[in-house]
Amino acid sequence: MSEKKHRVSRRQFLNYTLTGVGGFMAAGILMPMVRFALDPILREEEATEMVAVAQVKDITTEPQRFDFKVKVKDAWYEADEPKSAWVYKDEKGNIIALSPICKHLGCTVNWNADESHPNQFFCPCHYGRYTKDGTNVPGTPPLAPLDRYEYKVKDGKLYLGKAKPRGEA
Amino acid sequence: MKWTVSDVDMYEKEKQYIDTALLPLVQLTLSNATKTAVAGGELVQLLASEVERQLKGRLFLLPPFTYFLTETKEECVKRLNVWTDELKKSGMAHVFYLTSDRMWNETELGGKLFVLPSIPLEHMDEVYQQQMVREQTSKLLSSFISHWT
Repeated sequence: MSEKKHRVSRRQFLNYTLTGVGGFMAAGILMPMVRFALDPILREEEATEMVAVAQVKDITTEPQRFDFKVKVKDAWYEADEPKSAWVYKDEKGNIIALSPICKHLGCTVNWNADESHPNQFFCPCHYGRYTKDGTNVPGTPPLAPLDRYEYKVKDGKLYLGKAKPRGEA
Repeated sequence: MKWTVSDVDMYEKEKQYIDTALLPLVQLTLSNATKTAVAGGELVQLLASEVERQLKGRLFLLPPFTYFLTETKEECVKRLNVWTDELKKSGMAHVFYLTSDRMWNETELGGKLFVLPSIPLEHMDEVYQQQMVREQTSKLLSSFISHWT
């Protein structure tokens, strides 16, 4: 290694430093932009917080109402939103968790509340009815079946997530 | 339905289904017995919003009708009846009042009066509070529903 080979002219030196510093600055500017552009891909699927609602052993074939609370954040206002679910096991032993919100105008439906139509969900506001699996009875005001909650069972407890329209859950 | 912009959109669209106005009657005073008035008013509004949550599609929860303790009863009754007439003219078949003030007397009013027992919620622990509220709500619900049919 001779001294000669190592010689760096003033021009080269300036070139190197300028590219180096410029590169750093460009990276500093570009990095956040790239991160920003990729953000939707990198973001974790917003973990739908599952809430423990009931003990699995308490669930019967008859729909039961379970109340629970979900944290919601609406702009600057954070609150516990009370929610309910009608939960039962079908013949195959699968758990079904229905949202009690009527698909007509959002009242709360009740199980078996109307004497003339037993074993149905009944909406007291405009007499909408749903069969046990949440299907709307034709001829009554609701136009869609009741939403179903996503659920999972862990350690003998039932966890519920978001209510989704039938077909998606 | 609540008195909010998003709910009013629904009201405009589904007017034919929404035939009931819920009007909390809340007493105001800043001089004496403020705490009792506030406690009563708070309970009324809490229960009103609970009931609204369950009967959202038929019930329109309006901002409370407020009156000062010093107003005479006749003035209050007259003013409330003006409100009631207006509501009925705008298509509300039923007007429900919810209050904890025992001054009101249904026979003088144009709508249906529901008087709540005063419950000292502040002295209860939370579990008991919730149970109390749930009980009162379900009582109110069933009397509302039976009044509709």
